[in-house]
Amino acid sequence: MTALARSIGGHTDAFRHDFARREVELPGGALQWLQDRRRAAMTAFTAIGVPNRRVEAWKYTDLANLLEPDLLPITGSGDADERVSPLLDESNHLRLFNGFLSRCASDDAIDIVDLSALRGEVPDWLRENFGVLACGPDQPMGAASLALMRGGVAIRVRRDNSLALHFSNGASLRPCVSHCRVLLLVESGVSVRLLESHTGETSSGSLRNIGVELILNANSRLEHIRLQKDAADAVHVTSLGAMLRRDSQYRACYAALGARASRLDINIRLTGDRSEAALHHVAAVDTGIADITSVIDHASPNTRSRQLFKNVAGGHGRVVNQGRVIVREGSVKSDSHQLFKALLLSPRAEVDAKPELEIFADDVLCGHGTAIGALDEDALFYLRSRGIPEEEAKRLLIRAFLAEAVEGFGNEAIRDSLWQELEGALTKAAKASR
Amino acid sequence: MKLLEIDDLHVSVQGKEILKGITLSVPEGELHAIMGPNGSGKSTLSYTLAGREGYEVTRGQVLYRGDDLTALSPDRRAALGVFLALQYPVEIPGVVTLTFLKVALNAQRRARGEQEFDAVQVLRSVRQNAAALNIPEDMLKRPLNAGFSGGEKKRMEILQMALFEPRLAILDETDSGLDIDALRLVASGVNAQRAPDRGILVITHYQRLLDYIVPDRVHVLAGGRIVRSGGPDLALELEKSGYGAVVEVA
Repeated sequence: MTALARSIGGHTDAFRHDFARREVELPGGALQWLQDRRRAAMTAFTAIGVPNRRVEAWKYTDLANLLEPDLLPITGSGDADERVSPLLDESNHLRLFNGFLSRCASDDAIDIVDLSALRGEVPDWLRENFGVLACGPDQPMGAASLALMRGGVAIRVRRDNSLALHFSNGASLRPCVSHCRVLLLVESGVSVRLLESHTGETSSGSLRNIGVELILNANSRLEHIRLQKDAADAVHVTSLGAMLRRDSQYRACYAALGARASRLDINIRLTGDRSEAALHHVAAVDTGIADITSVIDHASPNTRSRQLFKNVAGGHGRVVNQGRVIVREGSVKSDSHQLFKALLLSPRAEVDAKPELEIFADDVLCGHGTAIGALDEDALFYLRSRGIPEEEAKRLLIRAFLAEAVEGFGNEAIRDSLWQELEGALTKAAKASR
Repeated sequence: MKLLEIDDLHVSVQGKEILKGITLSVPEGELHAIMGPNGSGKSTLSYTLAGREGYEVTRGQVLYRGDDLTALSPDRRAALGVFLALQYPVEIPGVVTLTFLKVALNAQRRARGEQEFDAVQVLRSVRQNAAALNIPEDMLKRPLNAGFSGGEKKRMEILQMALFEPRLAILDETDSGLDIDALRLVASGVNAQRAPDRGILVITHYQRLLDYIVPDRVHVLAGGRIVRSGGPDLALELEKSGYGAVVEVA
């Protein structure tokens, strides 16, 4: 056996042994329904293992080989981080430190369950909805996050509300792994804004493995704004599964601003008639990999999906955009479009883009497009000829390039703080490209 | 002192010599027209004066108010008062026109060591000039040149000229693609900006524009050289007998 194959088998085996050894001690270990779902998830995970580049959906992000050889499972939260989250908002704040709920807002419009303390009686909504999405073989890391979950949070929103979920992790001298789950259930007719942010300390190549389930009941709306900015040595995988019931709408703006490797692994099921998903994504990297891979499953008629991914890669940064759209038999009048665009600021930067369509129904509208290039020389000269110095002109053009994907999300304060984070990442990307 | 002095200017683009020894000077307060057939080097001259990359000066010199212009970056030239109205203004989706005007104006002021304008001052100045060019308020809120008609783009160029108050303005085929009403509007915008301390170089293919903007001098550019210079009558002669005759005589 080669050293490469050993190290790949190594993580998968380590996860499997962790599960076998601690199955009963894990949170909710005494709950039969949860144990069943975790075992199923472990089986799903084991079928693929920690993915390497031989797994088609992971061919651009060879996760197994990006990880440190030994990862120590994090079993307790330690001292909570109380720094301000980058997406400022007045809304309800929840904090997860090292994958454990460390602070929790209370509000009579939302129900919150700390998943690290699952035992005895659990509410029906939790039992019915938790551990259902982001845990199949198509999302192997999501399956691992459920099987090996140490902490996380389940939230049910019953009235229109705004939530902020801030993830952070402490500095660590050894590479660790945290498995964490989030469930957000939006009840029928309710509108929610979810601000999700990830920041982290240098942690010797730790893996943050997060599984997120979003369930949108009939007629509900979810606006999701997500900022991921990990330490340059961190590996971050979020597996996101969403189920959209009748007439629900999911609008998301994801920003990926740094890590050794980040992967947002999305699976959205449009299960209800007239449900809609719009995914906007911006990435700005100067090093490492920012991977967004989505599967959107049109499983009902009259469903609509839109994807707009805008990436800026400088230095020796790499961005990956993969999008698969499935239109199931009978899902007539499905309407789908995906557009991936990338700006390369340096000859060493790389973009891998792969849109895919699988259509099994007639009378559908499906389109996709990809455009990758450098900054437009004509535009740059035009701005400079008006007196704008080169660096400022470039910044203006890059900002203009990204603007389309950010416009219309959040409120002015949220957009301002998002832009501030983006500008920081863009400055680094520009510097690394000189 | 001449505002602009071009002496024996040779320029190559991608190794091919396009300008083959241009000598020309524009004093303050004058408006000169450069006319020439397609491919004569008109746009190469305007890009060279504005400092576009890829336009290599292989011989000769360009002095602007006595200093070598070719050593300066495009933005530095703009700050020192050189303005080029492009034949094809670039569309920049995602940058709001008014924001662009403010950023550009303040970048120039900053480079000259002048106090920057605040949003109110910029808006006031833009509005004053926009009205005369029949540029509606909503055009200023749209992304720069994106989806503008040909006439709107050219008016936007003249608005910038009015706003930046350059010492030397180069108008590259500002008349191309304009109908007669738009042409009149643009021409009156240019005429309004003729001033004793300002030189203007109008580059055009057709005589038509010069019915509305009367030049002090007319130069004929052909094959990368100025082949004839004369007064306003030269434009009329060209219109009557065509470039062929004039170029042959030369």
